[in-house]
Amino acid sequence: MKIVIADYGMGNIKSIISALNYLGADNIVVSADYETLKSADKIILPGVGSFRKAMIQIRENNLDKYLEEIAVKNNKPLIGICLGMQLLGTSSTEDGFTTGLGFVNAHCIKLDNTDLKVPHVGFNQLKTDIKSKLYDGLADESDFYFTHSYKMVSEHEINQSYCHYGLDFIASFEYNNIVGVQFHPELSQKNGLRLLKNFIEKF
Amino acid sequence: MLRKRIIFALIYSDGFFMQSRNFRLQKVGNLNWLEKNYKFQNIAFSLDELVVLNATRNNKSITDFAKTIENLVNDVFIPIAAGGGIRSMEDAELLFNSGADKIVLNSILHLDPYLVKSLIKRYGSQSVVASIDYKKNNEKFEVYINDGTTKIDLELEDYLHYLEKLEVGEIYLNSIEKDGTGFGYDFDTIEKFESKIRIPLIIAGGAGNESHFMDGLKYKNVSAVATANLFNFIGDGLPKARLKLIESGENLANWNVDN
Repeated sequence: MKIVIADYGMGNIKSIISALNYLGADNIVVSADYETLKSADKIILPGVGSFRKAMIQIRENNLDKYLEEIAVKNNKPLIGICLGMQLLGTSSTEDGFTTGLGFVNAHCIKLDNTDLKVPHVGFNQLKTDIKSKLYDGLADESDFYFTHSYKMVSEHEINQSYCHYGLDFIASFEYNNIVGVQFHPELSQKNGLRLLKNFIEKF
Repeated sequence: MLRKRIIFALIYSDGFFMQSRNFRLQKVGNLNWLEKNYKFQNIAFSLDELVVLNATRNNKSITDFAKTIENLVNDVFIPIAAGGGIRSMEDAELLFNSGADKIVLNSILHLDPYLVKSLIKRYGSQSVVASIDYKKNNEKFEVYINDGTTKIDLELEDYLHYLEKLEVGEIYLNSIEKDGTGFGYDFDTIEKFESKIRIPLIIAGGAGNESHFMDGLKYKNVSAVATANLFNFIGDGLPKARLKLIESGENLANWNVDN
């Protein structure tokens, strides 16, 4: 099993690697190289920080083209985590307006609940009544760790699950082989480890 | 429902973990000691987050500190916020690359707001925790920087306002007078300020047992309770405290899934 973490210089890759190690993954590569990505069994798109800066660095590394060919056209399982998930959508209003990878029909806007604290930080429960491989073996309303100021929304069916914070926002989607999670499974204790294991084994 | 958090803070100084009392440091043990007395990987399964603070007083070495973070990150699947002595983009980058999920800022919040702005622009508000050390002096709430040694000209209320304008992600509010006492949090101050803080608030300083956590979690605007008390929660003190809190109905996360 070869897991490649797409490298564009942003994201807490270390926590992801230690979670994958814990799950027994023995071939983890961090790379932006086309051939390496193509040879992967699974691809992880991490990300922390600014959407705009991330898209600039992704384009500089041609990752937009590589991922489109490998994951969208050739159906390689891909999971975007936190900002990595948001990048899979069409756009974000963070720091102006920035076009995303556009692999799923969803976009990102600021969490703007006036009576709630922003950023949304901590474990929150999910509504997981979707047809899901990702949450296999996990209880309904399981807790996952979030830390974000922007949220993903969509009027389209992308097999999404929701989290409630003021309003509902997209906590995850499983759009065929393209998966996204707004929370950090690598920082979500046993629940997160189980979810990553599901991604590795069931996609 | 968004859960509340229990955070363990490790005070690091020059290769060792310390017990701090009113900001006076007492050496407790190194990473091996922590592993032996706390079985850290197990303990971490009952914590929501870890804060690691470099309190080395002279010649803070951020590279040695980063190595410690790197060692802690393995097998700990919770967020780690690290800080103490961050003075540049490079310092922050080193900690992030060593496995920190967030950085904790203190002195530069006051001394170098432009750097803070740049850090927030690059890593996002949610990656930046603002640590505030304060003391009560009669009716005044004084703010201190440089490991509690230098009083600044802003009082707590104005300082909180200033930090929100800077768009930091969270506040770590630490009472110098309660620090390490185990007598309970400084509820007078928390009561006075909690409703004015519109970003997540972590309270620190004074927790000695789970009933102190419970008292802190009661406040609507307190997002997390922290303790740095290595002595009071030794062994399986933290897992037991968490279990008691969950049993008494506190709004804390559950992770009882089989892997």
